[in-house]
Amino acid sequence: MSSSSIYSPPGFDFSNQLRNNFMLQKGLPLPKATSTGTTIVGCLFKDGIVLGADTRATEGPIVADKNCEKIHYITESIRCCGAGTAADTEFTTALISSNMEMHALQTGRKPRVVTAMTMLKQMLFRYQGQVGAALVLGGVDATGAHLFTIHPHGSTDKLPYVTMGSGSLAAMAVFESGWKPNMEREDALNLVKLAIAAGIFNDLGSGSNIDACIITANNTEMLRNVEMPNVRVQKERDYKFRRGTTAWKKEDVRKLIVEEQTLLIGGDEMDTS
Amino acid sequence: MASADGGAYSYSLTVFSPSGKLVQIEHALAAVAQGTTSLGIKASNGIVIATEKKTSSILIDDSVIDKVAVICPNIGIVYSGMGPDFRVLITKARKSAQAYWKIYGEYPPTRVLTQEIATVMQKATQSGGVRPYGVSLLVAGWDSHRGPTLYQVDPSGSYWAWKASAIGKNMLNAKTFLEKRYNDDISLEDAIHTALLTLKEGFEGQMTEKTIEIGVVTVPTEAELEEGKIGGETGRVRPTFRKLSEEEVRDYLAL
Amino acid sequence: MSIMEYNGGSVVAMVGKDCVAIASDLRLGNQALGISSNFQKIFPITDRIYLGLPGLATDVTTLRERFRFRVNMYTIKEEREIEPETFAHLVSSTLYEHRFGPYFVEPVMAGLSKTPSGGVKPFIAATDLIGCLNFAKDFVVAGTASSKLYGVAEGLWEPDLEAEDLFETISQTLLNAVDRDAYSGWGCIVHVITKDKVVTRTLKGRMD
Repeated sequence: MSSSSIYSPPGFDFSNQLRNNFMLQKGLPLPKATSTGTTIVGCLFKDGIVLGADTRATEGPIVADKNCEKIHYITESIRCCGAGTAADTEFTTALISSNMEMHALQTGRKPRVVTAMTMLKQMLFRYQGQVGAALVLGGVDATGAHLFTIHPHGSTDKLPYVTMGSGSLAAMAVFESGWKPNMEREDALNLVKLAIAAGIFNDLGSGSNIDACIITANNTEMLRNVEMPNVRVQKERDYKFRRGTTAWKKEDVRKLIVEEQTLLIGGDEMDTS
Repeated sequence: MASADGGAYSYSLTVFSPSGKLVQIEHALAAVAQGTTSLGIKASNGIVIATEKKTSSILIDDSVIDKVAVICPNIGIVYSGMGPDFRVLITKARKSAQAYWKIYGEYPPTRVLTQEIATVMQKATQSGGVRPYGVSLLVAGWDSHRGPTLYQVDPSGSYWAWKASAIGKNMLNAKTFLEKRYNDDISLEDAIHTALLTLKEGFEGQMTEKTIEIGVVTVPTEAELEEGKIGGETGRVRPTFRKLSEEEVRDYLAL
Repeated sequence: MSIMEYNGGSVVAMVGKDCVAIASDLRLGNQALGISSNFQKIFPITDRIYLGLPGLATDVTTLRERFRFRVNMYTIKEEREIEPETFAHLVSSTLYEHRFGPYFVEPVMAGLSKTPSGGVKPFIAATDLIGCLNFAKDFVVAGTASSKLYGVAEGLWEPDLEAEDLFETISQTLLNAVDRDAYSGWGCIVHVITKDKVVTRTLKGRMD
């Protein structure tokens, strides 16, 4: 909005860069951001698009999130899978989703997949690969079903079946051997599940569960955790500590107001005449 | 000095007249009063905002004119006054709502968005080289904090919450009519009919689905609230504001 | 050495039955040298939201003030208290604004959110240093002892712990993890948030 509004779209703030570069020179490297090692895929079928993703987020060698969501909402009939720096995929897709919503309100039409693709590639190109988002964008619009990959530097591909992320080779192996034109919905979903499973089991950067999303002309079905091949085994016994195990020095209890009652004192209403 | 047309004080926006008036703002209100009638009614389970869509010529294609605008899934606005000014404000309001969403992960409460718009309109009464916006707005929305709320914003940038209000041509008659008809536990369906009846009072020509526009806020039920967002906790909010389609408007007119 | 290890410190948050807990160590160091054994890293945001900020101490202080400012402005402007989910998004977007010159903190949040029916729901979240949100259902960890905390918490946490049991679980998780982290320790503090009260306890721990 106008300059005085605190809800102004932020843009990036570089004020810490001087300090951070100084610290870098002193031999203090930047801590690792969460990344989605990731297997993400998409494939075309008879009536639309199936997108798939694993659900592991990593921080170097550590699994930071065992069940994160990598299929992001763009519009009702366009979704985007994200790989790379987790914050970048999250915020880039949120920004484009927001712009697409405004575009839809302004034009009064359902926005197209190419529109989202162009917005995304222009933004990523502008940041010269510094925004580390590798995306699989898919959806159905007035011109049919479309599937794109968008690389961190802004280049795009339009293909009938695509994979991205560290598990892309494992997943592509499945697609190359199993994909056929004009597949049925069930076959396409199964192929996507197989491709993601290949990533989950053969790539260290991918793991946990399978998310899928089926987009057709008049319906979008988000299948969160459609397959859970890595459920933790139920613990047979527990390590519950007896109350009083932990020794403590000081205790402070802060009582919170749970209910408030207002009582009128005096009975007579204030004379307001 | 203070002559009927405003005199020397009517041109410079940022100068008060000796009687304490900013004459340009009063002229802006006059522009609003010439605009087509719009009204809003808050019901027990929702809000209706409605307006008549009058074109100066039958040759104008009225299918592409929008006078009730969706700002974000929980807020809609209708106006009386100058169309172009409204369009500018709508764009600003939508951008503000999206900016808020980008920070807080949810859409602004009606009151906050109304304040944002009111601030923009107020600025136009105090800045150099601009004129006030020639519109009054009715902002209707639902949020979890205050529930359904209906606000009116005027060219001066002042805003109030209403149970029912009317702006534009015949607004005084329409308000009197609403005062007679309104009660606190009116249902949304009844409110829509009351809205149409009120518009009918000052309507010239035939009221059809082409010449009436309606937007409604529907209060989510307990069950819907408990269900939460579409697609789980990280999903999208259920819209609570929508414009009625031409078919729906026709059905209400037929009753 | 990483910037996170410059001052050291760790935070963990866990979900219980109608309650949440958040705990941190109390050390402030200058690399290997201990400076303070009463450096708070967990701050109350509202009555029912607590924010833990492990990382570079200068940024901990800066961000604490920033969030205090933003939350106060929110409370005044919106005439309501901020909800945990909303606050988590505020933290996330504030950090991402500094995507190309980040603050060196990994925030951890714990709180109780209101449900439409008037009850409370436990909420925990964490972000990385550029604001990528992680809404976990069980526990979140951050700081120099995070790798150890992951391991211990994974073993000790179980669902639906009562407030007193959650206190034991989170305390033992933290104490044992920081004992194997040279940069964390020097005492611990635990907050357990329930519907009607917040219990804050300072733990007895190794001081070496």
